[in-house]
Amino acid sequence: MAEENEEIKKSVDADTGAGNDAANGKLAEIEKQRDEYLAGWQRTKADFLNYKKEELSHLEEVSRYGNADIMKDLISVMDNFDLALRTLEKEGSVEKGIYLIRTQIEDLLKKRGLANIDIKEGDAFDPMVAEALAEIPSDKPEGTVVEVIERGYRLHEKVLRPARVIVSKGT
Amino acid sequence: MAKIIGIDLGTTNSAVAVMKNGELQILENSEGNRTTPSIVAISKTNERLVGLLAKRQSVTNPKNTVFSVKRLIGRKFTDPEVQRDKAWLPYEIQAGPTGGVEVKMGDKWYSPEEISAFILGKLKADAEARLGEKVDEAVITVPAYFDDSQRQATKNAGEIAGLKVDRIMNEPTAAAFAYGVNKEKNQKIVVYDFGGGTFDVSVLEMGFDPETKEQTVEVRATGGDTHLGGDDFDKKIQQYLVEEYKKQEGIDISKDPLAVQRLKEAAERAKHELSSAMETEINIPYISSDANGPKHFQMKMTRAKLESLVQEYIDLSIKLTQETVTAAAPKGAGYQLSEMDEVILVGGQTRMPAMQDAVKKLFGKEPHQGINPDEVVALGAGIQAEILSAKAEGRKTEGEVKDILLLDVTPLSLSIETYGGVATPMIPKNTTVPTAKTQVFSTAADNQTSVEVLVLQGERPMAADNKVLARFMLDGIPPSPRGIPQVEVTFDIDANGILNVSAKDKASGKTQSVKIQASTNLSKDEIEKLKKEAAEHAAEDMKKKELIDARNQAESLIYLTEKSLRDAGDKVAEDIKTGINEKLETLKKAKDGEDKAALTAAIDALSAEIQKIGQAAYNKDNGPTGSDNGQPADGGVGESGPEPAQSV
Repeated sequence: MAEENEEIKKSVDADTGAGNDAANGKLAEIEKQRDEYLAGWQRTKADFLNYKKEELSHLEEVSRYGNADIMKDLISVMDNFDLALRTLEKEGSVEKGIYLIRTQIEDLLKKRGLANIDIKEGDAFDPMVAEALAEIPSDKPEGTVVEVIERGYRLHEKVLRPARVIVSKGT
Repeated sequence: MAKIIGIDLGTTNSAVAVMKNGELQILENSEGNRTTPSIVAISKTNERLVGLLAKRQSVTNPKNTVFSVKRLIGRKFTDPEVQRDKAWLPYEIQAGPTGGVEVKMGDKWYSPEEISAFILGKLKADAEARLGEKVDEAVITVPAYFDDSQRQATKNAGEIAGLKVDRIMNEPTAAAFAYGVNKEKNQKIVVYDFGGGTFDVSVLEMGFDPETKEQTVEVRATGGDTHLGGDDFDKKIQQYLVEEYKKQEGIDISKDPLAVQRLKEAAERAKHELSSAMETEINIPYISSDANGPKHFQMKMTRAKLESLVQEYIDLSIKLTQETVTAAAPKGAGYQLSEMDEVILVGGQTRMPAMQDAVKKLFGKEPHQGINPDEVVALGAGIQAEILSAKAEGRKTEGEVKDILLLDVTPLSLSIETYGGVATPMIPKNTTVPTAKTQVFSTAADNQTSVEVLVLQGERPMAADNKVLARFMLDGIPPSPRGIPQVEVTFDIDANGILNVSAKDKASGKTQSVKIQASTNLSKDEIEKLKKEAAEHAAEDMKKKELIDARNQAESLIYLTEKSLRDAGDKVAEDIKTGINEKLETLKKAKDGEDKAALTAAIDALSAEIQKIGQAAYNKDNGPTGSDNGQPADGGVGESGPEPAQSV
């Protein structure tokens, strides 16, 4: 392309005396435009290819985390389930079927990548996986978990909801 | 060349935007969120935490958790604003060596610039991880009322974090950019920014010099309330819920941390839901207990109730907005409300319909909406960053490139008429052109030697209700049973909207085509009218189309049944034949009726009946519900796919 234009330029130079500059100017402008268009075209094409690649990884992400919202909602249903169980346990033994239903829900979520974050009383408080709701004096060492109020959950690698804990401020 | 990113460094939350693959996008942080809390902490184990992690531990560590540092940056310690904030901020602050502010975190004193630099450092690192390349330049936004010292301090914060700050940009200007109101004309813009903790109003005047092609943005007035925000709404709702619960059960739950946490979540959820629903249910089982056992909290909350709770805040914001626009300088811009050309809403709280209505009423104008109000400032900064990147690289911005290559879309679907008068879409509406689509159709009758191609435009499912753009015949198709010939129809629209339709019979190679000049240049009104019609008739159209689909299915089934009976001849037992013929007659009658249910029932009955003939007879034909003799099943109109209308 560039060579061709050079030739045209030469022939333009040879042919015309007057209007030479005008023609050259025009040609230069057109060449500039051509380069811009080509660059734009290449960029668009590259954008599209990159977009496709990104879309693929995005799709993967969606398939892994696409149902995070409903899982979050289900987690709070599970929390309430746990609260209900705790209350019932205080009143006496609980019908086994109720536990089975709870396990059923949890298994269902586990199959889709949900995992319980394992935090126990006495563990060091770690904001990566836990959120402090309050700090109270206790005989446990300062900065350790006194009570896990709500369990935390991970969906694949992401913390879907941190555990809600009460932290000791020492004695 | 490395990317320049746009950063909205907010009082409560921050966000990062960048132009990537020709598209402006918000970059997620390492926790997978689109915004990052503007919080920094030194944990009890002496670790520095930024963002969400700092927020999670704030309760246990309030003295070493620094938030809202934007309120302090670039200010003198003696500044009345600083003194006011000092009273309520839980961390310690003191005068710095040069009269500025210092905040204490751990056992060290930091300047607000350093704290902001920690936040910017995390934003930078997360952006680099997302982009997979180094980032060392940024555009950072600040409120329009920030003075030189505050701007310089913000810039310094960037430099400390290892970012060359190419531009400090006003937040309202960024919002205006994001909405694309930085057009080449003079206009007056008001930006109403209701954030989590602050409320800012800015009046901008954008000027454009057609000679120099230069654009100027002048901030004519700023106003607002630095201590009014969406958090006030949440607190108000929470307070209301505590009172309601006390009324219901006589128990005060405001001291129970878990109950408070659950209430807080319920309050936020209710607030969000009431932006779209008129009523929501607060449902918190086992929130507390007394001697009689567990207690639950259940109540309905209406949008009206929410609005009455926060009306005072909305009214206040409207009053402040009015003042900022109309008061004489220096308090306000000294404009009439009606003079404002554009009204832009920023901040998550502006999702609330009552707030939108109040702003709309004040200006008598629909405010700009549509971009996520939490992200709009960052996006604007991203646009500015792209403009600067492009300038540095000596190229056009991706936005401008798009302008040259402005690609049209098809305003309405383009279809072809198929058997039964159905409009089968070839190119759906809103498809970006140039584009092409090819689909194979077949004949509807035995020994059909020509097909008529009818090109339609519109959204209605029946051909007769759409606009006919062209019609042509393709003949010379070798006689064969229905469904055997393969006619390839291609719709091709070029960048100028010229539609080329061609039909080719694959067997004979015969081709016909037509060129339609004006497939996209309908007037706006015309397009809207057609779309409206389609929406109005959607239900009845669907019924009509379902009936036709069922009829087509019936027809194919009748055809196949008769063929099977013929082919099988004597091999079929007489009683089976009688059964099938009986069902066949029923279907034939039902086919011409209007009762779709009866028709479907008759189809099912016959389908079941012909199973009895036995598999042997069907292997050849692939069964009554399967094949279309080698033609791709497309569109799913009954069993033999869409077929061009039978030629006359």
